Amino acid sequence: MDGLDLLKKDWDNESSKKKLSVKDIYPMLHKKSSSIVKTLFYISIAELIFWILVNSIPYFTSDTYKQRLDGVFQNDFIFKSITIISYAIILLFIYLLYKSYKSISITDSAKKLMESILKTRKIIKYYVLYNLIVAGLSLIIGFYYALHNAPNTAIDFASISDKKMVLIILVITLITAVFVLVIWLFYKLIYGLLLKRLNRNYKELKKLEVE
Amino acid sequence: MNKELEHSFVELLEKHQNIVHKVCRLYTNNYDAHNDLFQEITIQLWKAYPKFRGDAKFSTWMYRVGLNTAITLYRKSKRSIKTQDFQGVEFKIKAEDYDDTEEQQLKVLYKAVHQLNDIDKALVFLYLEDKNYNEISETLGITQVNARVKMNRIKTKLRTILNP
Repeated sequence: MDGLDLLKKDWDNESSKKKLSVKDIYPMLHKKSSSIVKTLFYISIAELIFWILVNSIPYFTSDTYKQRLDGVFQNDFIFKSITIISYAIILLFIYLLYKSYKSISITDSAKKLMESILKTRKIIKYYVLYNLIVAGLSLIIGFYYALHNAPNTAIDFASISDKKMVLIILVITLITAVFVLVIWLFYKLIYGLLLKRLNRNYKELKKLEVE
Repeated sequence: MNKELEHSFVELLEKHQNIVHKVCRLYTNNYDAHNDLFQEITIQLWKAYPKFRGDAKFSTWMYRVGLNTAITLYRKSKRSIKTQDFQGVEFKIKAEDYDDTEEQQLKVLYKAVHQLNDIDKALVFLYLEDKNYNEISETLGITQVNARVKMNRIKTKLRTILNP
């Protein structure tokens, strides 16, 4: 007998066995799900909130920071437009995420389902990337303005030799890079663990198409 | 969620629960893991149930949700058996496993199927459930030709396992 035929015979016999009663099933409906979509959803919400807080808290809690920022930008118009643009981008990400979660449907084909989840993950990735770039740029621009515009530091820095200046810039760039890299690796780890199985199975499906 | 909907769902699931048990049987290898996966599939079915329309057969709809949960959504895969490439399977089965009796052969077969990767398992599952290639290709999102080619390879492998 063929391998699968034998298996099939046994498989069909299995069909007659019933195990759970209606009473067993009822409580199952209200238990917590451990699906990756749910986890992904919580992570994305946490990330949205985290980066909004990071961007807003210093501005609202510290008056000196606000004054300094206003001083740095000098032109109120530039500062206002940057703020509006950054919030518009956050809103855009929220909209894209919402749309993307809506499109995840368990009744799609396995491949389509995996693609929708991977697309959602990509949007979160771009959001994090965007924030990291903005964080990196603000550090560098902030430093530049501190050197040239702020009255106190400008005097201090004037007495520093060119060689030292290059060193300071290098060190600060390095610190920024390391900071950004560590956060990036952290995300890689979270998503790597969460989506390991999905990625593997998606590759397997893709492989079927190539062969 | 209203009680009536809940009631009709539970009755349907109770009637067709074997489909879910069979998915669990292929994708897990112990009692606890089986129950965990059954639980998760039940939640996913229940969440999707309000969108279920009578035009599809409840069982057909269950195949999709069940397999999608097992392959894609389910997170607790630690307790299930590790999957690996099919090529390596025959080396894993020791000489003493071979026996002429059907029961022994079945044991060997199940062992081999358990070591398939998640996608191959889905193919075997749908095949064992008498699904045609049209349904298999639609459930997994691959072409019929690819489903057929892959299935034939799996069949050949399983045959050689029994008659080396």
